[in-house]
Amino acid sequence: MKSKYLTHNQRTVISVVVKVIIGLLFISPLFVGLIFSFVPDQELLKLPTLQTIRNTASFNNYKLLAQSLPVFSYLKTSLIDCLLVITVQVLFSSLSAYVFAYFDFKGKNFLFTLVLIGMMVPAQVITITNFLTVRRLGLLNTYLGLAVINFAGGKSIFLFRQYYKTIPKEMHEAAIVDGCGDMKYLFRFVMPLAVPSIASVALMVFIEEYNAYLWPILVARKQNMYTIQVGINQMIRPDMIPPYGRLLAFAMFSLIIPVIAFVLGEDYLISGMTEGSVKG
Amino acid sequence: MGASRKAATISVPPYRKNQFRLLPYLLLIPSMTVMVIFIFYPFINSVRLSFYATDSMGHAGTFVGLRMWKKVLTSKEFRDSLIITLKYCGSIGVGTFALALILSYISVKMVKGSRIYQTMFALPMALATAPMASIFAYIFSKYGIMNAMLGTNNIWLSGKTLFPVVVFIVIWANCGPSFIYLLVGFRNVPNELLECAELDGVSPLRKFFSLYLPIASPQVFFVIFLNIITAFKSFTMIKILVGTDDSPLSTLLVKLYKYAFERERYETGCIYSLILCLLVFLVSRVQFYFEKKAVFYQ
Repeated sequence: MKSKYLTHNQRTVISVVVKVIIGLLFISPLFVGLIFSFVPDQELLKLPTLQTIRNTASFNNYKLLAQSLPVFSYLKTSLIDCLLVITVQVLFSSLSAYVFAYFDFKGKNFLFTLVLIGMMVPAQVITITNFLTVRRLGLLNTYLGLAVINFAGGKSIFLFRQYYKTIPKEMHEAAIVDGCGDMKYLFRFVMPLAVPSIASVALMVFIEEYNAYLWPILVARKQNMYTIQVGINQMIRPDMIPPYGRLLAFAMFSLIIPVIAFVLGEDYLISGMTEGSVKG
Repeated sequence: MGASRKAATISVPPYRKNQFRLLPYLLLIPSMTVMVIFIFYPFINSVRLSFYATDSMGHAGTFVGLRMWKKVLTSKEFRDSLIITLKYCGSIGVGTFALALILSYISVKMVKGSRIYQTMFALPMALATAPMASIFAYIFSKYGIMNAMLGTNNIWLSGKTLFPVVVFIVIWANCGPSFIYLLVGFRNVPNELLECAELDGVSPLRKFFSLYLPIASPQVFFVIFLNIITAFKSFTMIKILVGTDDSPLSTLLVKLYKYAFERERYETGCIYSLILCLLVFLVSRVQFYFEKKAVFYQ
């Protein structure tokens, strides 16, 4: 009957421990990937016992992976692509958001509606024509080709605009009266204040772009322009059993950066997701 | 100079109504140009291409009107694809919602340490689909850990088990955003109400249905439809786990990929893409309708 007299505190601790265990089970596929990425390929074609795992575990898969595929070149392509999209999208969207937050002009509502409609068109639906366009422009196998479709972001325009609206309009008027130009006001005053929203956008864009799969396999046709995801795709063929050890090593290698980014920036990501997307 | 500017700014307010200014339009050019070229034009072009026979470069050839539409819409292939898409999206919609509901409800209380499991439950949304699909391909392979644990010898990603296994994996992968939205919704419940309920001895089940669900209703509706729409767009998992060639999981998006990018039949691809778009649009209309009717705003 002891459990009946557990204090409130003790019950809280137990419930937290239980939930942490549930959480660990929830992300256990990651641990499975991690542990078996140290086991050699040929062992993975049988059911490896704990004993064999302990005896054969090594960084061999990672070494073999780095020797057989230019994984660091894939990583470089992925990161340059992400950086390009983040920089350009933040710049373009800041300009647009500034206009929607501070100006009154003819056609404003129409243009803003266009932005919202653009946000709702599923990316997969327009992939075909975008692919044809990018191919006609000769942008296959280029960074620009990988990145250009995401240079405009309805979501980020919307998010920045929400944020800019919280900055009092009087400040803007005061600044203009004092002879500060609009551009200077945006870059020197508004954007530094909006750093949290820029962080949210940067993180959302990073995760989306780093994880992008369909578009890169269409655009990156040459190995020197493969992104991480295209590289993984190349290892899996329907007609053969992939070398699981190396595949798992590749998977773990590719997940390091997003996991760190997520754990560090979770709050920014959540505020970016929830800001303005759900009423109430 | 200084004096004249001062005089000017006093008499002229910085914003005169009905005064034409070029600056706002100039600042909108970058975003709008990209949107026109890579969102609006492609959409219109998809509609246009669907009425033509296209060559391998994607140029519109001869005008065939609705012939391709008729050919696609009356084919058994399309019907099968539509049915499997709806089945797939329905299962994932329901499953993701249920899982997110449970996870967010058990995480709703903010205590020391709750950050840890909150982060773990949300983590899958940061993980790229391709590497996760590879890990699951191993877990469910013939020699994988699933068979080892269950003592079975199944080839999971084939035959009857294929559909539930893929759905299970996609639910796991898609759960993160729903979890976050529901968690935010549940945490909107005011503390005073919870304390009142506590004092009145309200049962946890009753608390869930009478307190949490109504107050989080905007998020609940948003999440239900978000999951269905996300499922329509899911491709990576299917491509890696099942493949696109005559796969038993040929959703509309898989067909789009197969026709447009494996066979260079762009017009057929466009028709599939437009049907997909129509479905997404219909789901958002239903969402809009229900939101107006059933959502309770504070």
